[in-house]
Amino acid sequence: MARTGVLAALAGLLAFAGCTNNPYPDADRDKKVLYSSFSEAPKTLDPAVAYTTAEHVITGNVYDTLLEYHYLKRPYQLIPGLAESVPEPQQLGDGRQSYRFKIRPGILFHADPCFALSQTGRAAREAVAADFAFALARIADPAVNSPVISSFAEVLGFSEFSKRLAELRKGDAAFAALPVHEQYKRAGGIEGVIARGDRELEVVLAAPNAQILYWFAMPFTTPVAWEAVATYTGRDGRASFTDVAVGTGPYRLAVYEKQYRFVLARNEGWYGTLPANAAAPGVAFPTGIEPEDVAEGRIDPSYAGRRMPFVDRLNFSRERENIPRFNKFLQGYYDEGGIIKESFDAVIQGDRLSPQMQARGMRLDKTVEPSIRYIGFNMDDPVLGAPAGERGRKLRQAMSAAIDTNQYLELFLNGRGVPAQTPLPPGLFGYDADYKNPFRQHDLERARQLLAEAGYKDGIDTKTNTRLKLSFDTSATTAAANLQFEFLARAWRQLGLDVEIKGTTYNQFQDKIRRGAYQLFIWGWIADFPDPENFLFLLECQNARSKSGGPNTANFCNAEFDRLYRQMKDLPSNEQRAALVKRMLAILEQERPWIELYHEEDFNLSHAWVINSKPTGISYPAYKYKDVDPEIRARMQAQWNAPVRWPVYVLVLAMVALTVPAVRTYYRERL
Amino acid sequence: MAAYLLRRIGYGFVTVLGVLFLLFVLFFAVTDPDDIARKAVGERARPEVYAQWKKNHGYDKPLFLNRSFGAYDAGRYTQTLLFEHYRSMLTFDFGRSDADDSPIARRLWEGAGPSLSLTVPLFAFGLVLGVAVALFVAFFRETYIDRAVLVLCMLTMSVASLLYIIAGQYLVGMLLKWFPISGFDPNAAVMARFLALPVLVGVVAGFGADVRLYRTIFIEEITRDYVRTARAKGCGDARVMVRHVLRNALIPILTNVVMTIPFLFTGALLLESFFGIPGLGALTVEAIQGNDFSTLRTMVYLGALLFILGQILTDISYAVADPRVRLS
Repeated sequence: MARTGVLAALAGLLAFAGCTNNPYPDADRDKKVLYSSFSEAPKTLDPAVAYTTAEHVITGNVYDTLLEYHYLKRPYQLIPGLAESVPEPQQLGDGRQSYRFKIRPGILFHADPCFALSQTGRAAREAVAADFAFALARIADPAVNSPVISSFAEVLGFSEFSKRLAELRKGDAAFAALPVHEQYKRAGGIEGVIARGDRELEVVLAAPNAQILYWFAMPFTTPVAWEAVATYTGRDGRASFTDVAVGTGPYRLAVYEKQYRFVLARNEGWYGTLPANAAAPGVAFPTGIEPEDVAEGRIDPSYAGRRMPFVDRLNFSRERENIPRFNKFLQGYYDEGGIIKESFDAVIQGDRLSPQMQARGMRLDKTVEPSIRYIGFNMDDPVLGAPAGERGRKLRQAMSAAIDTNQYLELFLNGRGVPAQTPLPPGLFGYDADYKNPFRQHDLERARQLLAEAGYKDGIDTKTNTRLKLSFDTSATTAAANLQFEFLARAWRQLGLDVEIKGTTYNQFQDKIRRGAYQLFIWGWIADFPDPENFLFLLECQNARSKSGGPNTANFCNAEFDRLYRQMKDLPSNEQRAALVKRMLAILEQERPWIELYHEEDFNLSHAWVINSKPTGISYPAYKYKDVDPEIRARMQAQWNAPVRWPVYVLVLAMVALTVPAVRTYYRERL
Repeated sequence: MAAYLLRRIGYGFVTVLGVLFLLFVLFFAVTDPDDIARKAVGERARPEVYAQWKKNHGYDKPLFLNRSFGAYDAGRYTQTLLFEHYRSMLTFDFGRSDADDSPIARRLWEGAGPSLSLTVPLFAFGLVLGVAVALFVAFFRETYIDRAVLVLCMLTMSVASLLYIIAGQYLVGMLLKWFPISGFDPNAAVMARFLALPVLVGVVAGFGADVRLYRTIFIEEITRDYVRTARAKGCGDARVMVRHVLRNALIPILTNVVMTIPFLFTGALLLESFFGIPGLGALTVEAIQGNDFSTLRTMVYLGALLFILGQILTDISYAVADPRVRLS
């Protein structure tokens, strides 16, 4: 028995000697693999539906789009992807407008068993204009439940197709039983989406909409193979289309165990591998690299003009919690990462990387997200909103001037944000870095004066001689969130207002919003595309929650604002448009339906071996631009992760030292 | 024994029915099915999408009574959420996840393996270590070894399990660099690398409570007459402790152990979540965070079922461990 114990102990020590904290196979040490993580498992990979960041990481790299964003230029600029050029609008009369996309040759879907359905005898087939039309029809299909269905409402016949499809399915069981591509055909397709042969797609709009092009740079409009939708039905033991990805992109989905990992592998049949497409903007690394990007070490200029992608495999592991994710990044097992609150001071000193992190060769890139966090007033409210007239306006102005955003950012976000002056974040057309909103400068005296002008001197309603009581509705009940809400409420309480925080669950909060039972609320918005329209539409009267259930939760309605919005939204980004945006922002400045808080700033960290990592701000596929140097990575990982074994030996010795005297004494006494 | 078992299973079945009713009240009467649907399809989904989702997930039926049927029509009671809830749970037809529409049975099947790969070694190591250390300190009771281990037990019991996880990841994964901080690989050849740290953390976290319990049991046994008799007959210490004390202490140990076995299937919530193990514990945490009511309902039901199963198994194990016990 003693011999067994000794053998077991020896085996244990031998096994321990081989211990390593490297979570990856040794065989991958020298390979061009980029390691990253995700926190929430993707719910769907259906490109018409996928909307979250984790989902877009897959759909954005597996599915190609007609247009893309220039990787390096800011403000953001559209470039051709699968299209040969960015189309110019053509006026068709009656206010109609058309965009014609010429499609590049040699675009192949990833090889997949589903293509047996098309009976060509090949494992893959070429993507043609009809596949883009099929994708748009899927967005219009009410059964697909695409979150962007309303964004295509101006495509001619889009809504009609949607309704026709729903009616046919409801009234004809035989129709409903057909494969969806057959249903679309029999329903007549979308009038304004025309496949002209295999290599031209025309999209006709019933009314001009300059922003529609941005949607063609998102995976929603990627070509979809009808064979994949028909095969992956989720029935009869088949996978669901939400769990597969048959795209045309630079990477293919090689492993999809969505609960804990997914792997994207280089697509050897990508259109970029054809010599004819070698110089295409979506294939060749951009030239004209900014000197600042080179100086900051973000971009290696030697990559200009080289064919992408550079990394062979993208390996994503699931990390549900922030702390292990960040620690693994520090160990070098993730190539890129963010900064967690708990370690902020250790990583950042002032607004730079700490000397410790700099010594590791780490790089910090900051980017302001095209987003806004704001406090909204319910403009239907008789006290705070439009019915209160000038009194309500002054009250809103006073409450706006009372909030100290700088302090808020320092206290709750480690300063990771830009105080907002208008709804428009930096980097967007119409953003003016010099503009200071007079009601967004923290000034308690001014706020008190405005409050008195509103008839609420020191928070007391001069008409009723009672303190003004307001409710601040929030959708979080955590201690951390409550601290933030308390900070905001305290600012208003300093004016004498009696503000009650009504924290509820998200569902209860949504219910309050639906019923219009709210006065003040806090909310945020992340842009779908980098254009002022994508922010200002949130305040258009047509989108008011109380009128149409739209995203204008403040229920702000201003005829002049709406008139300017309609003029602005379809204009190209020129001086006239800039002037219109300025006038709209001036209305918001005075009317104050929102208290604009901040635009969040991302702090992105990357290791020395990551090449061409420029933060994108908006969500679009960027992995094909990136590269890694596995040699440096292996060296650094080995240097940072040599196991420290002596504590085990010390522990064993300590246990022996502790036990032996007791055993000896015990036996001595017994004998 | 057979009659006792049948009666015990019968009681268990009635308890399951009661649990199912409580679940129904919690998940359907308190939470509005409309809210569940709205959360799943999004606020801006079209009415037909919303209605279709409710139909697909069975949330379109009335709660208790279906008034579209006649007074004596069976459909009045069977075409209801209550009936469907009982039917689906009792036949183990759990339906689809409210969050991502995937079949719950498949998720359970996929998650059981990773959960068991964590909980079985955790259970085995914890039990062996706990019993061994408890026997050791019971043998050396009232010495400094006993007191030192008791202090250590109290210390380990006073620390929250979340702290063990974070400290374990930092100390063993970051500072000592022995094992990966988190991750999972179903490949058996490398799985041990990922499970070593969570098992170590789990064993340490449960060490104090287990050792104290087993020590108490052993000390009680050591003072009994049969131990003195065994010693008087010339039995060695090791033989007395292992063959006599341990054997006779099995019943209370089994009470603790057998109750735990069924729960090995449900995984370890925090450990799985922090160590990135895609098991049923992580699935439960995810269901809570993602308002995935159908999955959560299933997990709570399975938890209750396993608890009842654990109790029945405990009773049977008494009889197996101690021939004096007769189940009747």
